[in-house]
Amino acid sequence: MIDFWLIFRILVFPGFTFVLLLTLFCDWMERKIEARIQNRVGPMVAGPFGILQPLADFIKLLTKEDIQPRDAKKFIFKFAPLVAFSVMVFAMCFLPVDGASVLSVSGFNGDLIVILAFVTIANFLLFLSGWASSNPYGAIGSARVLTQFLGYDIPLFLVGLTPAFIAGSLSIAAIASAQTIPYIVLAPWAFVLFIISMQAELEKDPFDIPHAESEVVGGLETEYTGGKLAFLHLTRDVQIVFGAALVVELFLGGSSGPVFFGLPAFWYSLWFVLKLLAVVVITEYITCVFARLRLDQVLSANWKILLPSAVLSLILTVAMVTWVYPLVV
Amino acid sequence: MPNSNVNIISVIESKLKDKVQIQPGQLGTAAIATTNGLHREVIQTLLDADEKTAITSITGLDLGANLGLLYHIRTSNAFVTIRAEVPRESPKIQTITDIMPGAVFHELEVADLFGIVFEGHPSPGHFVLSDNWPEGVYPLRKDVNPYDVKLNPSKDVITQPSDGKQVKIVLGPQHPALLEPEKFVVTVDGETVTRVDPRVGYVHRGIEKATESRTFLQDVYLVERICGICNSIHACSFVETVEKILKIEVPQRAKYLRVIALELNRLHSHLLTLGHAGLEIGYETLFQYFWRDREPIMDLIELTSGNRVYSSLMTVGGVRRDIKEEDIPKIKATLTDLRKKLPFYRQVYEDEPSLKMRMKNVGVLKREDAIKLSVVGPVARGSGYDIDVRKDEPYEAYGEIPFKEIVYTQGDTWARMNVRMDEVEESINIIEYAIDNLPPGPFRVKAPRVVPAGEAVNRVEAPRGELFYYVKSNGTAMPERVKVRTPTYANIPAFLKTAIGESIADVPSNFVSLDPCFSCTDR
Repeated sequence: MIDFWLIFRILVFPGFTFVLLLTLFCDWMERKIEARIQNRVGPMVAGPFGILQPLADFIKLLTKEDIQPRDAKKFIFKFAPLVAFSVMVFAMCFLPVDGASVLSVSGFNGDLIVILAFVTIANFLLFLSGWASSNPYGAIGSARVLTQFLGYDIPLFLVGLTPAFIAGSLSIAAIASAQTIPYIVLAPWAFVLFIISMQAELEKDPFDIPHAESEVVGGLETEYTGGKLAFLHLTRDVQIVFGAALVVELFLGGSSGPVFFGLPAFWYSLWFVLKLLAVVVITEYITCVFARLRLDQVLSANWKILLPSAVLSLILTVAMVTWVYPLVV
Repeated sequence: MPNSNVNIISVIESKLKDKVQIQPGQLGTAAIATTNGLHREVIQTLLDADEKTAITSITGLDLGANLGLLYHIRTSNAFVTIRAEVPRESPKIQTITDIMPGAVFHELEVADLFGIVFEGHPSPGHFVLSDNWPEGVYPLRKDVNPYDVKLNPSKDVITQPSDGKQVKIVLGPQHPALLEPEKFVVTVDGETVTRVDPRVGYVHRGIEKATESRTFLQDVYLVERICGICNSIHACSFVETVEKILKIEVPQRAKYLRVIALELNRLHSHLLTLGHAGLEIGYETLFQYFWRDREPIMDLIELTSGNRVYSSLMTVGGVRRDIKEEDIPKIKATLTDLRKKLPFYRQVYEDEPSLKMRMKNVGVLKREDAIKLSVVGPVARGSGYDIDVRKDEPYEAYGEIPFKEIVYTQGDTWARMNVRMDEVEESINIIEYAIDNLPPGPFRVKAPRVVPAGEAVNRVEAPRGELFYYVKSNGTAMPERVKVRTPTYANIPAFLKTAIGESIADVPSNFVSLDPCFSCTDR
């Protein structure tokens, strides 16, 4: 028997369609915020307040000619962007949006590990896509993705485990529902560290080294055109939404919030989206007020500052969980 | 340290009196006529006498049976031109690059355009002309008609991407970091730059040749189009040079009006670069802010000259438009607005940690290297090499207007940008002073269309540094030769020197701190 409800959840809400729309909306909002901070107006032609601009850009790219370099590794070049996009959307499915995740009602213990692994896989696929394009700028851009990612992946993991430690579970849904007091209040140090490593993971300023157009032109995207480029852009946007969603689940209490009337799922989704947008505003603000760092500066900061801080944060959390939180909670 | 107040002319007189012919007052402080081989000795004497001796330019001349060479040398208190001649049949002369490394590109340009062979030059080859330019055709010689030049079929030049561990990255001719087409082949080992090979001339327009077939009046508007950003300054330098040959004195009011136009040019040029530097280090917000504040300055240029970009204000004998009395409050209000915003920008440059990480200690150019490579403008002043033509050899009304010469000693990208930041404030002061003290009277005098035979040199301080003009007239309405040396052409060696040993990521920020203008470079 076909479970229509499950199909609806996968394809429409809170699955694929919802993720796609949310991504496009976040892209529009980012552009608008960046524009306002920089004293510009941002998109304003397509749709009310230019809200359809990201969709228009996406469709425009899909209609463009798709060129493949002669020397590119054809298979990887073609499929890496698509697979990276799929992996990111799949990872989104593990996040409980309306109180439950897409694939199973309660999630399973350990899905936090799985989605952090998905982030790694997606980044590696992006690296492959640039590497396969046989272009020096693409190769340098890809090498930068990989080098930078070696530096921040471990701190991200360590800090990501802090909420798991407080909640005593590796299930995202359990962590989210355990936050009667959001962990941003209980462990603000971990929140700050997580935002910083997330910023690096999403390759946004001051860590957008792989996209430094004045140094490596388009980076790993240099040889991509048309639909494949559209999917590379979309992957990046989904990554940003995913990062923000993860912050919401781990530190802001997930989709919990007051329910007033009607369907609880509606209110949960609303709170989730609002919290997510708040996180996007924070990351976009950071992007706007910093210059881009150099690769060696980022690496030394990662290994000398971020990694020790992540370890310290974990130690601090252990101490707090053992001696302080029992008194508060 | 050699004394900078030394009288250069008497030094040369005492050392080389019987060998050279000194013509005081010609082409700067003095022109020194040498025979083949002696030019090196004169330059060596100048180098020994004054530590700030540097080369401004080398001008090639077609004198008929002979080809002429003019070495324009600046010292701390004089500007000397050394004449040399080589026979047309075998135009060979000894290079000066071993004693004066800053002359490398100047010699390459003369070699390309006049076919003079510099014996001992470290890297001969095409530099300004394209690679498929026919052998033996030297465009600035009088017997060459540019319309008859047949180019060789062009060959594909493929830069080998790698040579063992060294990877070559081609910056340009099309590249997001360069807004204009020039090529720099950067060899990197890992992320460290080991070698930079420049190539200019992608948009060489032959303006120097074109001036020879147009009247002096037409040329004013032609040289203005050498550069879109510092257009008034090019035009002003050209008309000053012509006025020197004509021996006419510009009215006092015109001098002040010219200063206002020149400083408005400097303001918008500096604001452009300060923002552009932000873009190169991934600081888009800074870029947008600076360019927002640059727009009112463009409006002022339109208000005072009638045109937003090419002001077409300068003419031989004065300026073409007066400032209207009712516009003065608006000009002042705009400048006051900009002055109020400056502390914020200064704070960003002083305090913003990520900006400082990308600019401090990047592209450090030491003072002695700056002098040796003969760099000019904010690049020189950022390295503690204090040259500013407005102070050293005041032109127009600069002698009467009080202002500070900005010098930083760190020599890095950050210092070069801060020189510009401080100069923005000085420019505002200068314009306000000029408006407050605008003398009454006419703003132009009538100048003859036909210029008597003669030659003159002129230097002005463009936003990017010393801009040099040489004009030779043969008694007709058209010039015999016009030579332009733009500041960027003199500043490229600084980039080649400082990029080596640094990260590839620092190349754009280092490069933009020169404020490169290739439209100027490819005249």
